[in-house]
Amino acid sequence: MTRAMTTAVVVVAVMTASALGAGCSQTGTSMGGSAMAAPAMTTSGTKAAGLRSGLNNLLQEHVYLAAAATGAALDGRDAEFKAAAAALDQNSIAISKAIGSVYGMDAELAFLPLWRRHIGFAVDYTVGVATSDKTRADKAVSDLIGYTEDFGAFLASANPNLPKGVVASLVKHHVVTLKNVIDAQASKDPTRAYMALRTAAGHMPMIADPLAEAIVKQFPDKFAG
Amino acid sequence: MKSWTLRALACAGMMTAGVNAWAEDTAVTVRLFQFQPEEASIRAGTRVVWTNQDDIKHTVTAGLPGQPDGRFTLVLTGKGATASHLFTEPGVYRYFCERHQNMRGEIRVAR
Repeated sequence: MTRAMTTAVVVVAVMTASALGAGCSQTGTSMGGSAMAAPAMTTSGTKAAGLRSGLNNLLQEHVYLAAAATGAALDGRDAEFKAAAAALDQNSIAISKAIGSVYGMDAELAFLPLWRRHIGFAVDYTVGVATSDKTRADKAVSDLIGYTEDFGAFLASANPNLPKGVVASLVKHHVVTLKNVIDAQASKDPTRAYMALRTAAGHMPMIADPLAEAIVKQFPDKFAG
Repeated sequence: MKSWTLRALACAGMMTAGVNAWAEDTAVTVRLFQFQPEEASIRAGTRVVWTNQDDIKHTVTAGLPGQPDGRFTLVLTGKGATASHLFTEPGVYRYFCERHQNMRGEIRVAR
């Protein structure tokens, strides 16, 4: 077996393990008795299940990478912050591509800056906390809350099965749980920070699952079988 | 004579239709945080009507983000809201949404 072939096999194996891991994580969260909605489709291997696990994977990755970036920023680990922020942006691009795969390139291009905006607000909040600048931190929270309405409106425009208010409320919870992570990181309390991080990541299926279900409902033919 | 009159009337009708076609409104839809079409070409004297299909406030502000030129600022309060502007002078009019500054559009006005 050539080196290139070996590499390809490893990449495929890692991707498969990653995909399976996402599925296991989702099941684990569901079985763990969190507030996650009961899955409407539990059969693995269908296109709908693939969409659902893919969105869960991307959105939970978003939380973990965001927390990695804010933790590094608050500790002054610049190189790590830059690496985490770059990985976080790759995740943002992947999420926008997922949106584009359903709603087209124009929607993808409109979604990406909208999604990046809330990351910018989270960075503002982190800087405000790090520098004890309450005005800046408060403005960032206000911007983040306002952003949830934009996000809700975007998805409601894309999909009539996603009411703006419901989406905004779910994203608001994402904002609050991530803020708790940043606050715990800033207070140098790693136990609380990691508990908060698990809670924040555990909330993401509350967004990913209804989003996946609404997309399947909107395009039943595309996700049949 | 009759056929000449009819022909003259038909010509007049076509001319009127032509004028009306110039004066017809041009529609721009705001949906999924985009101006659709992003670029529109019209004749001077045409009114452009923006209709908001998003359930959120958008603006139609002449100029570029950070550099509004003051030629027009329209507010689309929410879903179903409309606003319009009459373009009387030829030129290229860029515009954007103040709340979502990645939303950009352009109207090209010919004589």
